[in-house]
Amino acid sequence: MFTAAGTMTDGDYDYLIKLLALGDSGVGKTTFLYRYTDNKFNPKFITTVGIDFREKRVVYTASNPNGTTTGKTFKVHLQLWDTAGQERFRSLTTAFFRDAMGFLLMFDLTSQQSFLNVRNWMSQLQANAYCENPDIVLVGNKADLADQREVQEKQAKELADKYGIPYFETSAATGAEVDKAVITLLDLVMKRMEQCVDKPPAEPANGNGAAKLGDAPPNEKKCAC
Amino acid sequence: MIELGFLSESEQELILEVLRRDEELRLAEEQRVRKLKSELLEVKRKGAKRGSGKYSERTCARCLEPLSRLAAFSSQCMMCHHDVCPDCRTALTNNSWLCCVCFKESDLKKRTGDWFYDQRVNRFSAAPGHDLVRVSLKKKPSSNKRETAGEVLLKTNSKPPNPVPMPRQKNVMNKCHKPQNSGSTISRESFGSRDEVWSKPTRSDTESAENASIASCKTETESGRVTPDQQRKENRSDRSSPAVSRVSSLTVPVKASIIPDESSQPEVKASSEVKPVCPSPELEVDRLFKKSVKRAPKNPESVSTLDLRYKSESSMGARSRSVPGLDLQEDEEEEEEDIDSLVNFHKTSMASSTSSLQSLRSTAGSLMSIYSEAGDFDSVDVSGDVVFTLSYDEHTQSLHVLIKECHKLAYGDVSRQICNPYVKCYLLPDKSRQSKRKTSIKRHTIDPVYNETLKYSIGRSQLSTRSVLISVWHHGRLSRNAFLGEVEVPLDSRDLDSTNEDQATLMARAASAVPASAFAQDKGELVICLKYVTPKSPPAVKRKGKKAVPEEGGELHILIKEAKSLTAMKSGGTSDSFVKGYLYPITGKSTKRKTPVVKKNLNPHYDHTFVYKDVALEQLRAMCVELTVWDREAMLNNEFLGGVRLSSGKGTVKIGKEEVELDSVGEEVSLWQKMMQYPDSWAEGTLPLRSSMGKAKAK
Repeated sequence: MFTAAGTMTDGDYDYLIKLLALGDSGVGKTTFLYRYTDNKFNPKFITTVGIDFREKRVVYTASNPNGTTTGKTFKVHLQLWDTAGQERFRSLTTAFFRDAMGFLLMFDLTSQQSFLNVRNWMSQLQANAYCENPDIVLVGNKADLADQREVQEKQAKELADKYGIPYFETSAATGAEVDKAVITLLDLVMKRMEQCVDKPPAEPANGNGAAKLGDAPPNEKKCAC
Repeated sequence: MIELGFLSESEQELILEVLRRDEELRLAEEQRVRKLKSELLEVKRKGAKRGSGKYSERTCARCLEPLSRLAAFSSQCMMCHHDVCPDCRTALTNNSWLCCVCFKESDLKKRTGDWFYDQRVNRFSAAPGHDLVRVSLKKKPSSNKRETAGEVLLKTNSKPPNPVPMPRQKNVMNKCHKPQNSGSTISRESFGSRDEVWSKPTRSDTESAENASIASCKTETESGRVTPDQQRKENRSDRSSPAVSRVSSLTVPVKASIIPDESSQPEVKASSEVKPVCPSPELEVDRLFKKSVKRAPKNPESVSTLDLRYKSESSMGARSRSVPGLDLQEDEEEEEEDIDSLVNFHKTSMASSTSSLQSLRSTAGSLMSIYSEAGDFDSVDVSGDVVFTLSYDEHTQSLHVLIKECHKLAYGDVSRQICNPYVKCYLLPDKSRQSKRKTSIKRHTIDPVYNETLKYSIGRSQLSTRSVLISVWHHGRLSRNAFLGEVEVPLDSRDLDSTNEDQATLMARAASAVPASAFAQDKGELVICLKYVTPKSPPAVKRKGKKAVPEEGGELHILIKEAKSLTAMKSGGTSDSFVKGYLYPITGKSTKRKTPVVKKNLNPHYDHTFVYKDVALEQLRAMCVELTVWDREAMLNNEFLGGVRLSSGKGTVKIGKEEVELDSVGEEVSLWQKMMQYPDSWAEGTLPLRSSMGKAKAK
């Protein structure tokens, strides 16, 4: 569905999509994004100062609701915001939540605590994102470190199901599932965009695959526009 | 507010660098968005059918080609409900289609990211601190819904840091004395904890190793960003040193769109507005809504009042109603729009106008037709035809519209069987005064003969995008003018070299029949916010044994932010505009509200709030707000620039003496609904201005 596009000529794209990675400090947000954009791995832990971003151009192929492709392709310019996981930067990083169209909520498969904190990040998102139920993908990173694993797949899957969001176990070290996680998120965002614009204004658009936060009121519209 | 005070200078520098890269991307994006929007305008311009014109129903609304008979069904665009030929359709993914203009419009919403920003604006405008007064105090045109945190941060931090010490710094100071690496597992326990984990014990590289690797990381990544941390060490020492002043305390208004940037704004304006409240606005409001609760005095700027300033400014004395006996309708208090009172002035100006027409010796009453755009006219059942010739004069570089005669017109005054017809002409899309030409008035006839030529100085090449709108009016001397019919002639495919006579059947106004078409002409946009303020529960005091006071109604707040791309009415390509608002049905004395005039600006920022008190949420369902934008003319009548009608879009409402259909469409409806759905939060929307406020009478 997605392939890397050619050079990044300024403004030569159809959509600018802004995604943002968040999660505890040290779960691998920066290395994850580095793997995604440059397909490289940097094993060093370098704490992110506040915020940062990376860019990547991809080709998106629009698909029908039933999954068949329409053959229409678009150039998508991805702006991938990287945030500091450290509490110290919290006020700064949460301010950037509102500018993102989709979120990669990451935790460390070798740290039970980073997984427990997912719930807190979710409520941060609910409070600070552009809407109460933005598109989110849950990412358990460091899947390559099998011997240090503290979070079981079943556990994480259950949590993701509870929120109604997709879950991926990735490894920035090997590159496993990294692309897939980002692409899935992009797809969700693009689908939401379609729904937002094409649905008649008064009609609530409750689509499938919608990321819903746990205790959003039942009458909450998916799209308020 | 984000405080960056806790960051060291080098950290701030790093963040600023990120923000600058973000700015580059943002600028490229802005350019792209601008280009897309101009493309849309282009497509819109090509879309031929306009609200003012009547077209054969069997032609495509976009290319004007005749529609095939087979396409009788499902040839209507879902969005604009125009009939459109297959060539002017764009297929959607779900087997449906839209006409090319509507498709382009929704496609643009996606490509520009507006779908996202529109949604976001409605969420964050409800943020605490975004109260009425603050909004109206806002001077900076920062109401940009596309504004990002990065943009705000960058803006704020590009200014010299403000060295006021912040109380929070104490915390920071304390924090950094804490051991960094030990006990990190404990600190990870709680999400909200103030303690910080610098690095996981399992992978904590030594500082020196990190520093050493930094250079190589950087070269490895080129395009990407590595977040260097060589500053970390110094940072810590910085922060543990008692040099508080080094920690600059930049504060960043995150919700910058609503909070005045005090640091950058001299206090001049703000202070002038915070001066003691003069009693008049309150009085005014109280008079309008007798039942309204006494409230603490508000900032006068935030409450719309009858603006007395206008009177002194514009020498109202000279414009007083000097024509007795005219039917003033219910608009008695409409000083600015009261045409009758302006008759004399108009006469003089018309005489001196550059127009080449002798027929401009029009009499006073025909001015009524100026307000035809605003839907302010009587209409009768249209009949008859008009005979005319269109030709282009190469010598004078002008278009000649020869109005010959009309046949079998309807009576303008049906009850008295009187008709004093004249013909008015516009060279569309310009519907301003500059484009208006009129014939003389023929008295007591329904078969008038004019043989008058109306001329337009215009280059021939420009004609292909124009059309001539010929309308016939009854001049009601003592009453309103009546519309007798019109015909629109596109010039793109017309042979202007022959002097063939055309006989065209007069049509009823399309505008009132198909409300959506009032949008076909691009009149610009109006950016507004709506908020329903729920009634404050009355204080739980039951005095004198009475039951609690019946709950006072809530308030409807309408923040008129700005208008965009208004039509230029004045020489120099500008307009002096203001916005007028009414809430219908008018229950109390008057619901008229006006913003101050913003001069010489086609993208004016009004930032003015209309407040309607004592309105119950339930009532709003059946109410309607009309906002109209006017170009203010000091000595003449104001020119209508466009309007919006906000309502649920269903049912009827009483406007004046007529029961009128609530014909709001699209965003006009969705914004209204959003306002009702989320009380106490602002619903913001950008609404296309209607070129006509023509009302559809309820059947």
